[in-house]
Parts: sequence; structure tokens; C-alpha cells
Amino acid sequence: MTANTRSKSPPRSSLTFVSRSAPYGRNRANLCLDMALAAAVFEQDVSYVFMGDGVYQLLKGQEGSAIGSKTLGNALETLSLYGIENVYADQQALQERGLKKSDLLSGLQTIDNDAIAKLIDSSDTVFNL
Amino acid sequence: MSSLHTISHSQSSILLESCLRVISENDAILFIEDGVYHCCSPFVLQTIGDSIRLYGLREDMLARATLAQLDDRVEAIDNAGFVQLCCSYDKVVSWF
Repeated sequence: MTANTRSKSPPRSSLTFVSRSAPYGRNRANLCLDMALAAAVFEQDVSYVFMGDGVYQLLKGQEGSAIGSKTLGNALETLSLYGIENVYADQQALQERGLKKSDLLSGLQTIDNDAIAKLIDSSDTVFNL
Repeated sequence: MSSLHTISHSQSSILLESCLRVISENDAILFIEDGVYHCCSPFVLQTIGDSIRLYGLREDMLARATLAQLDDRVEAIDNAGFVQLCCSYDKVVSWF
């Protein structure tokens, strides 16, 4: 039974999701997150990078209800529930926007440009939204 | 004649830059949707002339958790205030 289940599981590949959009203006941030969660369900190696305006998704204390939206910050906290541990915030983007680590949700590592380049280079597939 | 300019995307866009090129002294800028990220960026706001009044939509800032970092120069207004503001200027110019 175990062997059977194993043979049916999809081949494992490394997927990197680069989320570059602010949380509410468009639905790109949500779409990117949905793709990553789906990939994680299929037991792929998922890395998630918040780059550019995407770092705004990480601000603590969001209240989507004020504009009739779901709060995206809550959804991000589910990343680890889905086994996505490699979650990174673009260091340069944080600096440019004057954001400190204390402004952000917990469980994030910052990542510099070189490291993002390496991550993209070493991934089988990159989703850039 | 006076205009209310609304800006609806973040600093990554060139909306503010375009708007400032053609804005007049008695105009005001209202930041809405993703535009509200401007309101917590003093460095960006200082590029706007002192005579221009600045507003940010409270609901959009609440959603994005940026209300606490609101710059002193920007006045937060709610949706009802948005409507009033539209009525108190001769026209609205939307940058999107």
C-alpha cells in the first residue's frame, strides 16, 4: 500500500514563487499564494520570495475587512502550515520602502539580490507574479 | 478652478511623477487603493509642493496596515470624506 502510494506521488521538483505585487489593488498576490499552496499540497519543494511591492503583503495588522477583502496577511501565515518553510523578504525592497523587521509578520528571513539570483538559478521552475 | 488628483498605485508606478508635472498650486492629491503607500514615505512626499494639500483614504490604509505610519502632512479621510472632497473641487483627475 505504501509502495503503491509512493509510486503514484508526482516527481519532486523545486518551485520558486516570486510575488511582486502589493496585497489588495490587484489579485496577483492572491493568485501567487494559491499556486504556491497548491504546489505544496503536491509535495513539491516550494520557496516563496516577496520582492518589490510584494513586501507590502508582509505588513503586520492588515484589516482587509475595511475594504471588503479577505486579509492577505492571515493567508500568508498558512504558508508554514502547508510545509513551506523557505519564505524570504527582499532586503533591498524593505530598505527602499523604509520597512523594519518589526513592522512585518514573523517567520521571515530576508534575502539579498545575490541570494535571490542563486535561488532562481537553482530552481526547476520559477513563477513570477 | 481647482482639481482633486487621485493616485491609485504605489511609488513603483510613475503616476505621482506624471501628476506633479501638470499639477496647479490650488490642487490637492488624494491617495487611494495602492496609492496609499505614498502616505508613509516622507522622502516621496517631500517632492510635492507645499501648497498642494494631501489626503489618504482611511479604509485603504486600514486594510494595508499603513495608517500608523501616516506622514504628518497627509490627512486621513473616510469614504464619506472622499465624496465631500470630490464635491469641493471643480473636478477630479484620476491617475491610474
